[in-house]
Amino acid sequence: MSNGNKTEKELQSQTDFEDDLLDFDDDDPLSATGVSKKSLVIFFLIDTSGSMRGKKIGELNTVMEELIPEIRRVGEADTDVKVAVLTFSTDVSWMYAEPISIEDFEWSRLRADGVTSMGEAFKELSSRMSRNSYLNSPSLSFAPVIFLMTDGYPSDDYKAGLAALQANSWYKFGLKAALGIGSEANDDMLAEFTGSKDTVVHAYSGGQLAQMIKVVAVTASQIGSKSMTLSDERDDEELNEEDVYAAKQKLLGQQIQEFVNNQDENDTVSFDTGW
Amino acid sequence: MVELKIGQEVEMEYGGKAKVLSVIGSGGQGIVYLVEFNGMKWALKWYDVDKIKRPKEFRKNLKDNISDGAPSNKFLWPKYLTKENEDGTFGYIMELKPASFDSFVDILNTYKLEVDPLTGRATKRPVRFTNLYAMVTAVINIVNAFRQLHRSGKSYQDLNDGGFFINVNTGAVLVCDCDNIAPDGSNFGIGGKPGYMAPEIVRGVAKPNVQTDKYSLAVVLFKLLFRGDPMEGEKVVKDICLTESSELKHYGSSAVFVYDPEDTSNRPVRGIHDNVIKFWRLYPQYIKDAFITSFTTGLTEPNKRIIENEWQKMFIRLRSEIIMCSCGRTNFTSMFVKLDDKTYRCPKCGMQFSSLSINHLDYRIPLYVGCRFFECDIDRDSDDFLTVSGELVENKLKAGLLGIKNTSEKIWSVKFPDESVRDVPPGNGFPVWPGLEIDFGGGVQAKI
Repeated sequence: MSNGNKTEKELQSQTDFEDDLLDFDDDDPLSATGVSKKSLVIFFLIDTSGSMRGKKIGELNTVMEELIPEIRRVGEADTDVKVAVLTFSTDVSWMYAEPISIEDFEWSRLRADGVTSMGEAFKELSSRMSRNSYLNSPSLSFAPVIFLMTDGYPSDDYKAGLAALQANSWYKFGLKAALGIGSEANDDMLAEFTGSKDTVVHAYSGGQLAQMIKVVAVTASQIGSKSMTLSDERDDEELNEEDVYAAKQKLLGQQIQEFVNNQDENDTVSFDTGW
Repeated sequence: MVELKIGQEVEMEYGGKAKVLSVIGSGGQGIVYLVEFNGMKWALKWYDVDKIKRPKEFRKNLKDNISDGAPSNKFLWPKYLTKENEDGTFGYIMELKPASFDSFVDILNTYKLEVDPLTGRATKRPVRFTNLYAMVTAVINIVNAFRQLHRSGKSYQDLNDGGFFINVNTGAVLVCDCDNIAPDGSNFGIGGKPGYMAPEIVRGVAKPNVQTDKYSLAVVLFKLLFRGDPMEGEKVVKDICLTESSELKHYGSSAVFVYDPEDTSNRPVRGIHDNVIKFWRLYPQYIKDAFITSFTTGLTEPNKRIIENEWQKMFIRLRSEIIMCSCGRTNFTSMFVKLDDKTYRCPKCGMQFSSLSINHLDYRIPLYVGCRFFECDIDRDSDDFLTVSGELVENKLKAGLLGIKNTSEKIWSVKFPDESVRDVPPGNGFPVWPGLEIDFGGGVQAKI
């Protein structure tokens, strides 16, 4: 190549440009990694106290195994969905040491024994719902989905635990739902946890349990893993912050209620009979 | 919702029954099943009518679309409606996606999950464009499909990454989910997918139409080329948790493009948006300018959004500006050293490439073994960007001698190295030399 006719300045700018071009190991337009995703953690809080023993925990294990593949695709190309499972009986413990990507998650079957330390579970959850702990994704996150399943009344001071949770902003913006199993579970207490009755459901039999867990978990993860379509219901009026506040939680409540109202009561063998 | 059972038969509107074989997938408005109808396999979309705002009008619109027919063969268009059940539920059938096409979502993820039906275990299979030509061709095909749709007076309404299947080897495109397509100005309740929705829809002051489609199209193109979100940068990531109100802000009332030249507050963040940072520097300025217009002026002025025909011309140009060097490096001319007006040099191996100018194009086409010219290059009235009219090849009898082969249906008039001007009929070729001149007919001429 001949540079005979070029001034020094031209040569310098050409050199800079060539330096840029020389980075040719990393300039392939096809060498993309996956698009940057938002992250969503789905927390399952599961009662494994002694009263869950037998059919309830058996059903629950089975439905959870089946549920995982069903929610694998909800994130599409936008959201990286992770799952964390906290069980509570006499002690509280996490199924895995950190939230696991839904694509790699394998359900490890739970066993039931002991009392119901739900307050402790709330405290533990609150301490983990932090940027320094389980919600440490460097990119954007959606507020977590928190799904509580229990068949009885807490044996410890759940109010103190709940107070800790309620002070946590992730909880405040999170999508909360609860499932009461059998007739001992207290819906009022569960509504205290979710913030509204709309997002509390009840299962009295095995068939219902499987159905409720699936519907609530799938609906919540679909809503949680996506941004909101905020404007569907309105007519040409500029939306403000108030209009959209807790819109996802409201939508979850609506969808769960729609489902519950469409259910027929044909499930015969209840959890509380025939033991 | 009323789900269909495997083996169930669904009555079609004009007679016959479709038998449900399996579930293909589910979406916001319903479930898609594999069905058999008239001895053929089809996809049946079955609606959850509770999720549709005005089901009667929605069904009527679908019916109109079916009788209008698809704007082109790039659409997986609704074919037949089912009968409406007593409870108002219904669906429609369409052709199945061929196996050689992958979903755009999988392309963005760069893999797809293949699930073992027995254990439920998932393994990842890579999904990537196999060559740059195919990727840019896919862009042209997407833009062209929406040009055809908009010319038929309709809008797509919820344009997003779930709406396309792409062949990663050829760049062929199929537009799916065509059931919300409606005459421009009508809307049957769909808002769109966040991130793809025009800001005026996010803010609640407009309903989907052709102009909002144009915004969504720009997002789709940006995601395909730059592999990131055009509005997600530092300003958005600072929020940590994307709540409903932060979404309204960052995608609606105060959206800022990550490469807004006037506002640097939302630049991509290293470690999170590495794709965007890497790819933005590769593309020529005219492509970047089009995205800048789309996501700055175009945010608030829908009439200033880039029209499909402009996108199409730009990407036809971009495809012509690809150089595949024999050292293995493939890139746009913007990433080659420009030695003079006509010559490029590969920064990796030093190979030089001359280029051809065609009188109706305002750019030059670099020449390398395997480069192709299309009907739209040699005929100024043609819109055909898929039919290859000429190709640069090596002479089969004389190694190292490069020439252009006429693969069109016209006779060209070409100046040879001995200064003679000869006719080159289809199937024949001629050497590339510094004084080369080609007359394609119709007033289109090319020279080196």
